[in-house]
Amino acid sequence: MLADGRLPTGGHTQSAGLEPAVRAGLGAGGDRLTDVAGYARDRLRTITRVEAAVAVVARHITVSAATAPRRGSRPDKWPATGDPRLSPADDATGTASRAAMSLGMVEAAWAARTPSQVMRGAARRQGRAYLRLAARVWPDVLRYLRNDTEVARPVVVGVIAGVTGLSAEQVARSVAHDDVQTVVSASLKLLPVDPADAASWLAGLHDDIERLVTDVASLTEIDKLPASGAPLLDVFAQNHADERMRLFHA
Amino acid sequence: MHDHSTRSFRLGIAGPVGTGKSSLIATVCSELSAELRLGVITNDIYTDEDARLLRSAGVLDPERIRAVETGACPHTAIRDDVTPNLIAVEDLERDFAPLDVVLVESGGDNLTATFSPALVDAQVFVLDVAGGGDVARKGGPGIARADLLVVNKTDLAPYVGVDVEQMVTDAEAARDGKPVLALSRNDPASVAQLKEWVLSMTNVVRSGEHTPVDPGPVAPHTHVDEDGQLITHTHAHAH
Repeated sequence: MLADGRLPTGGHTQSAGLEPAVRAGLGAGGDRLTDVAGYARDRLRTITRVEAAVAVVARHITVSAATAPRRGSRPDKWPATGDPRLSPADDATGTASRAAMSLGMVEAAWAARTPSQVMRGAARRQGRAYLRLAARVWPDVLRYLRNDTEVARPVVVGVIAGVTGLSAEQVARSVAHDDVQTVVSASLKLLPVDPADAASWLAGLHDDIERLVTDVASLTEIDKLPASGAPLLDVFAQNHADERMRLFHA
Repeated sequence: MHDHSTRSFRLGIAGPVGTGKSSLIATVCSELSAELRLGVITNDIYTDEDARLLRSAGVLDPERIRAVETGACPHTAIRDDVTPNLIAVEDLERDFAPLDVVLVESGGDNLTATFSPALVDAQVFVLDVAGGGDVARKGGPGIARADLLVVNKTDLAPYVGVDVEQMVTDAEAARDGKPVLALSRNDPASVAQLKEWVLSMTNVVRSGEHTPVDPGPVAPHTHVDEDGQLITHTHAHAH
């Protein structure tokens, strides 16, 4: 379900940065359409790699909390997180509240690796949409994150993966696939692309997606999160926020 | 969580491109902004064209008019995945609490686009005489089952060779008695009727007596069943 673009989380409003890139010249107005595949590959190596890694670590934290041995500690032993987006310490052993604190740290680590505040804003808005849906479909997510708050999408996706039993590989693959799918789908709206070509680009990126999965699936520590970025895409995203004629939110 | 005390009456405005959805909203705002606390969400092909038009019309505090991108999918934004619109409505209700009515304008789509009951409490479907006198007869979910059908720009009828009375009669026949309003912003009597409808609908929704009606994405239609019999029916949900 997470990998399905029809999931009602506002995916149709997203282009994974393709619209501002096209505006900056990607695709050369339709003369160089394979730029789209190259763009998706560049994201897999940079921005999407970070997001997949963040989702993997968020999943690890959630799974660890769910399987932690009960120590019988009193709930008030664990301090409140101080972050209104994270669920309060209301569990008997404090494991969920500890996990919520760790998730707050993952979110902060993601934010530190996402220098564009426009991109951070878009990812948090998407995270909010995922959280709203999760509250209805996978309500266990609310043990860790508070409903309808703006938490970065990869963190929310990681927590959903944790409570639904997805493996680290599956969640990394889902994030990577979703990003490529968002790019190629948006290309149909932005450039004169044949839909079968778009599907070929997605198939052609299979190895790149699997390489990403292999690289990030074993991560468990926040300090080991990759910090690869794409400064030009950050600049495009920043410009997009001031652009009047937008089809896509980001 | 959303605070239910700030919940407004959410009214959707749908209809094909160019039938006058934005100017209908401008009319509602200028007629009712003294009586009701209003907010507007627009969906547009390119972000904020309609929002800008409404802001520049000066009928409402520009801060209360917000645009939502639809990724070139105006139909999806009001029907299959209302999440971005719903978040925008709730944020507007929170930021300007309490609002009486939030008007949600669909990006102009085709005759099959109607609002999901998950997004709005009631909806207006807008046609215009310039689109052709036969459109109302052709029907469609919005024409047949929206809470109000507006036949707009009646002042243009003589210039486009459309018989307004006939168009309204066709529409009434397609709607099983639900209201049809022949509207022109140059006709004060019709504007007064529109105002009255919005006010009375607001009161009905507030009183809790209104149950959102889903016009459904599919009009009543006919096909041949397994036994070769011709059957006509409607679907409660999408195919």
